[in-house]
Amino acid sequence: MSQNILCTPSPVNDKEALDALLKDRRGKQYYDEMTRLEVDTAALRKLLNDTCRSRIRTWLEICVRCGMCADACAFYLSNEKDPKQVPSYKIQSTLGEIVRRKGNVDNALMRYAMDVAWGKCTCCNRCGLYCPFGIDMGVMMSYLRGLLFSQGFVPWEMKIGSGMHRIYRAQMDVTDEDWIETCEWMEEEWEDDWPGLKIPVDKENADIMYTVNAREPKHYPEDIAEAAVLFNIAGENWTVPGKGWEETSLTMFAGDWEGAKLQVQSVYDALDRLKPKRMVVTECGHAYRATVLEGPYWTGQKSGKTPVETLHYVEWVAEALRTGKLKIDPAKKIKEPVTLHDSCNYVRNGGLSQCGREIMSYIAEDFREMTPNGDHNFCCGGGGGLNGIGKYRKERNDGQKVKRDQILATGAKLVVTPCHNCWDAIRDLEETYKIGIRQSFLKPLLLDMVVVPEHLKPEKE
Amino acid sequence: MFNKILFATTGTPSCDAAARVAFDMAKRYSAELIIINVFGVPSRSFSQTVTDIRTGDEVDLHDDQLEKVKNELEKTYDQQIKSYTSCETIITVGIPHTEILRLARKKECDLIVMGARTSAEENENSVNRHVVGRTLQGVARSARCPVLAIGRAAASFWGGISNIVFGTDFSKASDEAFKFAFNLTKTFNGSLHLFHAIDISADPFEITKDQDGIEDQIREAREKIRSRYLSKMEGYSDYEIDVWEGIPYVEIVKYARESFADLIVMAHHTKKMDPEKAVLGSTVEQVVLRSNAPVISVNHPARQKKL
Amino acid sequence: MYNFLTGPLAWFSFLVFFSGILIRSLLYIRGLDSTLDRVTYRVNTSFGIKEAARSIFYWLFPFATRGWRTQPLMTALFFIFHVSLVISTLFLKAHNMILQERWGFSIITIPDVVSDCLTVAVLAAALVLIIRRIALAQVRILSKPSDYLLLVISIAPFLTGFLAFHQFGNYPFTMLAHILSGELLLVVIPFTKLSHCFLFFFSRAQLGMDYGIKRGGMKRRKAIAW
Repeated sequence: MSQNILCTPSPVNDKEALDALLKDRRGKQYYDEMTRLEVDTAALRKLLNDTCRSRIRTWLEICVRCGMCADACAFYLSNEKDPKQVPSYKIQSTLGEIVRRKGNVDNALMRYAMDVAWGKCTCCNRCGLYCPFGIDMGVMMSYLRGLLFSQGFVPWEMKIGSGMHRIYRAQMDVTDEDWIETCEWMEEEWEDDWPGLKIPVDKENADIMYTVNAREPKHYPEDIAEAAVLFNIAGENWTVPGKGWEETSLTMFAGDWEGAKLQVQSVYDALDRLKPKRMVVTECGHAYRATVLEGPYWTGQKSGKTPVETLHYVEWVAEALRTGKLKIDPAKKIKEPVTLHDSCNYVRNGGLSQCGREIMSYIAEDFREMTPNGDHNFCCGGGGGLNGIGKYRKERNDGQKVKRDQILATGAKLVVTPCHNCWDAIRDLEETYKIGIRQSFLKPLLLDMVVVPEHLKPEKE
Repeated sequence: MFNKILFATTGTPSCDAAARVAFDMAKRYSAELIIINVFGVPSRSFSQTVTDIRTGDEVDLHDDQLEKVKNELEKTYDQQIKSYTSCETIITVGIPHTEILRLARKKECDLIVMGARTSAEENENSVNRHVVGRTLQGVARSARCPVLAIGRAAASFWGGISNIVFGTDFSKASDEAFKFAFNLTKTFNGSLHLFHAIDISADPFEITKDQDGIEDQIREAREKIRSRYLSKMEGYSDYEIDVWEGIPYVEIVKYARESFADLIVMAHHTKKMDPEKAVLGSTVEQVVLRSNAPVISVNHPARQKKL
Repeated sequence: MYNFLTGPLAWFSFLVFFSGILIRSLLYIRGLDSTLDRVTYRVNTSFGIKEAARSIFYWLFPFATRGWRTQPLMTALFFIFHVSLVISTLFLKAHNMILQERWGFSIITIPDVVSDCLTVAVLAAALVLIIRRIALAQVRILSKPSDYLLLVISIAPFLTGFLAFHQFGNYPFTMLAHILSGELLLVVIPFTKLSHCFLFFFSRAQLGMDYGIKRGGMKRRKAIAW
């Protein structure tokens, strides 16, 4: 093995290793070391034998290379139809090569595969809907990420992210104490305006256990307060776990299968401990994908489902509006044109496209659909972890042109983005292309227009 | 009086005036001074870079960087820090108002001092010149302790506190502001100016037609000040009551100037703004920008210590 | 020669073809893995089967899916090629006469003139497919020599059959070439991407089950529009 210190195949499991990585400015040394990282071809071959089964092998083989997937890909369309962005090409020249050569590949191919897997694909899985054979290149790309991770060919930020999950069980250095502290703080800060507002931590047998994205306690604590207020108004019996509160999974983006399992298990343990009737996931797409759609398989749930029924936040909001738990003041509906961005992770891959539409019918007077939308919506460019990877920032920004044009065509200036990474991506899109739009989660919008029951209003002066 | 003062700064000239007041206050009241600089805003999701508030550049987040910013900041306030020992500098990243509030809560500060805007906010566009920064808005709206805001350099050259103007809108939050203003006045043995402005901008055609009506309102307001506040002043005699009509923030600024105010105390109780009014911000925000005295906004009773 | 080609070699190629299909299909199904594929094939199977059926069904008809509609020319080409290819082979009078002679049964047939038209359509479509492969950058980059070779192997029986039927050129030679190329095609199918002629159904069914079971199939209020 070479003299690599930072860029090695072993994952980051302790704070020391994490700090060493963090000290490396933008992964300069890390990427430099990567050029000397040897491929353990025997291990790669074994991994292929153990995990690459008929589905993926067949996909790779029967692809007739018709190129019909090209137009399905936001990156292909955004990059002036660069042939190198055709999904089939991207997967055949990477995973296809590795499989055909039975893992006997060199450093250069692995690094090229990394450039493709994290710089040219967000794993939005749209191409799979456009292949006549149903070849899902997004699924293969996330499999490829797993192979690359096992060999240490993974972007610096992804390695850090996976390490964060392994150490903190959160995507950022937020400890359980920080999290509980933040809940208390928000309760304090908001209770003047919302008398009796509580953020109950670790309450057993609640109707709802609410879980979040670590960025909320870290940077956007008001998101937690807003969720609390809305649960309060809806009269829900809810709680947050003091441990196992983080739904997201940079480990999934990193292809760290083992770490992904650890993360999801922490949430399932919380379910086991608190025994809520249902779980609600905050407005985050990949968190839902990781914990609700993929998590059951990582942790070996035979049913393929989470231990208790789980709703994405849009499902809860749609249900609350439908059942009248939340009522909207008709005078306060959004008057300006507004559009909705579907998060690939819970819409195409989770079947929740109707929830967004239902919510919009309650809160917006002039709702404008993007074309195409729902299951066929284009990725914003922020999926698959691309938002946070410095090395592929340009690729991510370029890949957003399709979304930009889709939004422009609606004429709406407000984009509802019930997903953290989409929210970020749309904000960055505005920063790059300056088209005069703004983005919003559902919570602040709802808070502006929901009818507050008399007993929850602050005392009149 | 003030035991722990939190001074939030970007380390740029836009905060110089606030710095003068912060160090001055800390020295004068032997308070512990905590300087916080939220130098970068997380901008790229979970990435390890932040957007530098001053330059707008993307910078790396690591210990060296934090150290560098800290050194720069300490150099900026070199003179002041040297002349005052009980000083702690904290460099962090995040959404500025969130981090300021988080720290104020954690350290149980009893006063936050800050400028009206960050330099980046100043540069944004001309409209923003008439609006206080989002950071001040965010802090003032939610802080549990009084927030002292300095909008103009002119507001930072002061000798001490003897004339305190208390502007009220008779809200509940104003009652808290009054308590604070009165305690302050007592401590300094100063003179308290209780002031209210009748807002004639809200309904210009109905009210301006009838000056008699306005004067009725003025009489009522004076009565209200008497019953609501004088009763709580334990016979303290150095006070004045004035009620003027006009656009509230203009009247308060004029009044403060004429009464040689050293400090203006007001309540800042709007959490959610009507979007149409939000353009100019609340009255207190406008006063901060225009007044030549520092403005303390008081919002919540909870963390106010006994003075 | 003729006897060898239509005797042992024919048996051999049919054996390879059918057993190849059978074995590969079984291997495909055996290789499916609930945990690795992250689809519970055996739990909530009914949702999976329903979506699998939809997933196959819609893709069998031109313009029935969004994918077909977004690329109308390719779709037309695709269906002309495949439909003509299947119909002209199975329902050709001459093929059915052989069936009748050897095994005493035949299936319905189409007039020779129709077969001719379909054969020409296959050849023409193949030509356009080759041109498309060369002309379009996004297809060119995907194409390898084997892609061209397999297309030639696929249409060789049609070209030679057409020549033989109309007795253009040297009849015995074209006939032998037709038989040989047909047998070559049968042998090649299970081992190359041409196996898509049957694996298509498995692959589509698998993705259908994926969507039906895991990717929101049980939550979708309106079934996914393929």
